[in-house]
Amino acid sequence: MEARLELKGVSKRYGGVRAIRHADLTVAPGTVHAVVGENGAGKSTLIKIVAGAESADTGTMAFEGAPVSFSTTQDALAHGIQTVYQEPQLFAELTVSENIFVGREIVRGGRVDWAAQHARVIELLDTIGLPARYATRPVGDLSIAEQQQVSIAKALAGNAKVLILDEPSAILTDAEIDVLFAVVRRLRDTGVSVIYISHRLDELFRICDEVTVMRDGETLGTWPIGELTVRKVVELMVGDALQEGGDGSTARSVPDGEPRLVLESLASEGHFDDVSVTVRPGEIVGLYGLVGSGVAEIAEVVYGMRQATGGRILLEGREISPKHPRAAQALGIALLPANRKAQGMFAFQPISFNITVSHLPLMSRARVWVDRRRETQVAKDMITRLAIKTPSEAQPISMMSGGNAQKVVLARQLVKRPRVLVLAEPTQGVDVGAKEEIHKIITALADEGTAVLVATSDLSEALRIADRLLIVRAGRTTREFPPGASQADVLAAAAGADEEVPA
Amino acid sequence: MTTSTEPSPSTPPTSTSLPPTALKAARRILPPAVTGQERVLVVILVVLAVVLSVATPAFRTAGSWQPLLSSVAPIALMGVGMTMVIIAAGIDVSVGGALMVTAVTTAKLLVDQGASLPLALLAAAALGLVLGTVNGLLIAYGRVNAIIITFGTANLFQFLGRQIFASQTVNGIPGTLELFGRGEAGRTFGLPHSFLLTLLVAAAAWYWLRHSRPGRHLYAIGGDPTAARLAGIRVQRLTLMTYAVTGLLVGVAAVFTVASGTSTLDQSVGSGRELAVIAAVVIGGTSITGGRGSVLGTVLGALLVQTVASGTTQLGWPSQLSDFFVGVAIAIAVGADLVRQRTRRAR
Amino acid sequence: MTATQTRPAATTGGPSPARRALRSLLTDRIVLLAVLLVAVVGWMSLLGAQGYLTGAYDADYLSGALVDAVPLAMLALGELVVIVSGRGGIDLSIGAIVSLTGMAFGIAYGRWGWSLALSVVLAVVVGGLLGAVNGLMVAYLRFPALIATLASYYAYKSLALVVTDATPISDPRIGALYSITRSVEIPVVGSQLPDVPLGIFTFLIPAVLVTWLLVARTTYGRRLFAIGTNDVASEWSGLDVRRTRFAAYVIAGVVAGLVAVYISGQFASARPDAGTSGNGLALPAITVAVLGGVAITGGIGRVAGVVLATLLITWLDAGILLAFEGNDGTQYQLLALGLVLVFAALLNGLTTRRFTGSR
Repeated sequence: MEARLELKGVSKRYGGVRAIRHADLTVAPGTVHAVVGENGAGKSTLIKIVAGAESADTGTMAFEGAPVSFSTTQDALAHGIQTVYQEPQLFAELTVSENIFVGREIVRGGRVDWAAQHARVIELLDTIGLPARYATRPVGDLSIAEQQQVSIAKALAGNAKVLILDEPSAILTDAEIDVLFAVVRRLRDTGVSVIYISHRLDELFRICDEVTVMRDGETLGTWPIGELTVRKVVELMVGDALQEGGDGSTARSVPDGEPRLVLESLASEGHFDDVSVTVRPGEIVGLYGLVGSGVAEIAEVVYGMRQATGGRILLEGREISPKHPRAAQALGIALLPANRKAQGMFAFQPISFNITVSHLPLMSRARVWVDRRRETQVAKDMITRLAIKTPSEAQPISMMSGGNAQKVVLARQLVKRPRVLVLAEPTQGVDVGAKEEIHKIITALADEGTAVLVATSDLSEALRIADRLLIVRAGRTTREFPPGASQADVLAAAAGADEEVPA
Repeated sequence: MTTSTEPSPSTPPTSTSLPPTALKAARRILPPAVTGQERVLVVILVVLAVVLSVATPAFRTAGSWQPLLSSVAPIALMGVGMTMVIIAAGIDVSVGGALMVTAVTTAKLLVDQGASLPLALLAAAALGLVLGTVNGLLIAYGRVNAIIITFGTANLFQFLGRQIFASQTVNGIPGTLELFGRGEAGRTFGLPHSFLLTLLVAAAAWYWLRHSRPGRHLYAIGGDPTAARLAGIRVQRLTLMTYAVTGLLVGVAAVFTVASGTSTLDQSVGSGRELAVIAAVVIGGTSITGGRGSVLGTVLGALLVQTVASGTTQLGWPSQLSDFFVGVAIAIAVGADLVRQRTRRAR
Repeated sequence: MTATQTRPAATTGGPSPARRALRSLLTDRIVLLAVLLVAVVGWMSLLGAQGYLTGAYDADYLSGALVDAVPLAMLALGELVVIVSGRGGIDLSIGAIVSLTGMAFGIAYGRWGWSLALSVVLAVVVGGLLGAVNGLMVAYLRFPALIATLASYYAYKSLALVVTDATPISDPRIGALYSITRSVEIPVVGSQLPDVPLGIFTFLIPAVLVTWLLVARTTYGRRLFAIGTNDVASEWSGLDVRRTRFAAYVIAGVVAGLVAVYISGQFASARPDAGTSGNGLALPAITVAVLGGVAITGGIGRVAGVVLATLLITWLDAGILLAFEGNDGTQYQLLALGLVLVFAALLNGLTTRRFTGSR
């Protein structure tokens, strides 16, 4: 049987970085083909090339036997290659039916042919398992999971031959995942090639026929799912890191003592339901989980940005329940937000502003007059202490590199030595050099007695920096790993193959 | 709302395999024609009309509601354009100024050039179209903030208008426009022509917004301009069109205004009208943030605002009180809108 | 002043001085305004010297024109605070607050015989309360500011007219207030300089100073710029976003109250349409704020810019009045205002994208 899509010898550079060194991909019609790999392995770049959002530097691409070259997403769409992203790109006020046809409405005699659209929409809804009456409901009324299904329907409406699903199950409940899989199977049976990207390795075994593994910018190969186990996939993804413990860094000695922060069966409805964590002063505890596991939300609850619906938080033995970040800060809890641009940065304000904005009473006389000399001093101290590269503390933060900007936002949390520091994705979008430096800063902070909780989806970071690593999976803390654990073990535990991981 | 979680058939569906119940349930193809807000408005209007009729019997007479409808016409007509602008997440505060320019031009044409009705109408509409296009070009292609720009063009239009007035009132306006005026010639079956024409335009706009491709695209643009562009919608062209059409409608509204006025036109024409139009649109249920709205609501909103104004005077209350009610009405309308949004996004 | 413009990193052998000057002109609003101000005054003076003007465009005239600069600048500062607070912040009702507060002042001082000090306090309190209604709607009920202040504009405007059935209060005590707008000689060096309207010293300069201190030197000012720059990050940083935003609208109301007192003096009567006749006072105030460099999206704005913009508009308008016969002058003022606004908006749009970093 002829391959529907065939990529050979593809490579891609972004500036000095080689996102893909060598990739081959052959996708047959009527299959569910998974592409897996760690962050940075090249998956998303490869998919972008298939979808026409990027063009490869080298290599060939053939669609149904004929050579093709996509320069825009429209080219790919014209061939029937559709992508469904995690964030549904829908219009909340328009109906499901309109969303599915937006931009390419069926028109007859100058007006939209609602009947024809409706007929097609009903078909599509049936295919993806949504009730027909949804056709005329505004999309904004639907749940996120249902909206995602509408996105899939939208992709199908364009007569997809290749459907790319990017982390579709990340935001779905188990029941919704079942429905999704039913849809995917049905599509496969009608001959659609489904390219399935996911970190949830256990799911692959439920739905996929073949798996292509990528590592460090290369496709290692494609295997039928029957020849693999989760463990094997993990080993392929992680490679030689199999034997190494962490990255050889020596374990820190953590002073014994009463725990400073304790999360006891903490729950937040809809996000996580049984999380228990203990952090001692001077200790760095890592929380690792895949996207959608609830890790980010746990950090939010500790910081008062979200409310717990069950369980307790204890700070030095006393139960606390911060209602707002202000309250958390008053208790000595600081947090570095996950999304720097949206949640952390005051873009066109100077560095000094960004550092002191959380500590205005401290930087002022009589809590009213800003003490600019003090502010400048504090900013300068932080710049030195965190090795922030900048000509002056008055430089706007938006002109800085990701790593430097992150250091500034981190500096904000350190002005008053926090008793507990929570870091959410501390090195996301940060270059390697700054990443090292930030890790050093975190370690130094812990040495000074702060209790540190790092919530991250970066596996190597979690292993490097944590004294103890807790896995969060499907809203619960499951296993704990000591420093020196192998990446493969951790990943396997997070992706859900408990049985296969040595205890 | 729950997703159906019943196990799916293992055979792929064909287009005829849908059970008849599904087809029947899907009979209503479009979103509802009348929104909840509009229903509320109708009720309020009816109640108001009844109350006022009881409180001041004069309200029931033709001599009362005919001028009322005449005064609603220009506001509602401009409101149709403004509704489209706001649906596409824009705003236009220059319509008052544009009204002044087109009104004085029309009046001058009638007085100085002895223009006929069709000519006056055409000239006014064309001038309005040009003014609206200026706004549209600046906003759609200049990528500047709509409110600031239209504040600016408001001043420019006023300047233009005053230049044409040349510091005098326009006197001796002939009855050429009596077809749209307040007299007998301006009515059919007791309804002012201007009002009827407005209803016609509103109906056409309603249909266009609901059933035409570009009309639906306006809602997409207001909902998420970036996503709209990615979906292949011509955002800039459509945005330009909304402002241009608004300008054209302002021109026609100017003709109505001149027609239903006295034989003298002074420089206060159009002053503050943009706020009355925006008020009508907002009270009618169109969301100021875009993506949602209807022309029917705007017409009802204009009716409400004018009825309140008329009722206030008829009840012998200070006429300025009507503005107070308008303010309260706006606050309530938007508040209701926000509540509705909040309860939906309760996920 | 809060640093809000970019400062290019030190370059070695970088762009030519001419290019740097141009860049500075385009990005630093203060520089641009100063240059324009000098250009306008210079040009007008030139026209005057050549006999094109109907009157003398000299220092005395300019000084006298400052009478109108007082309310304009003050209201523009009020708008600055509101617009900087972000989330579409704007106050369309500020003119109506002037009207309504003016009536309260007029009744207290003119009719009830309260002392001046007490009446002023009343004006400030009433203005603050009216602003608080706006603040409640925008900050706590999350109404879009445009609509909330549109609604309050209607409400306040009508209440002002209803209170005295549209008649101004011109009781003798109010009439006597006219003296607050007289021109005075500056002490010590005054004989060499033109007389300056008293309002500059009693109203404008204190207002400018207080506003500047507030936005540039207090913790409140920092919070204001923070919420205007990034609402969400402010929340994550532990700031009380709602209260800070609420206070901004109260401040605008307070300023409007003070302006009401001034205007009552200026017209020797408390007029119910003081802030709402014609186009109202809100639009010019917003124009001046935008011209002065306040970004309509929030987080950016400087008191110096607003002051310079006020001077520019005031002296430009004054010159226009002399340049044209009769009523034409007021018309050309409209033209100038409109052109200036369009130009300022285009400039804002252009420079934001080109020269500042990503937002």
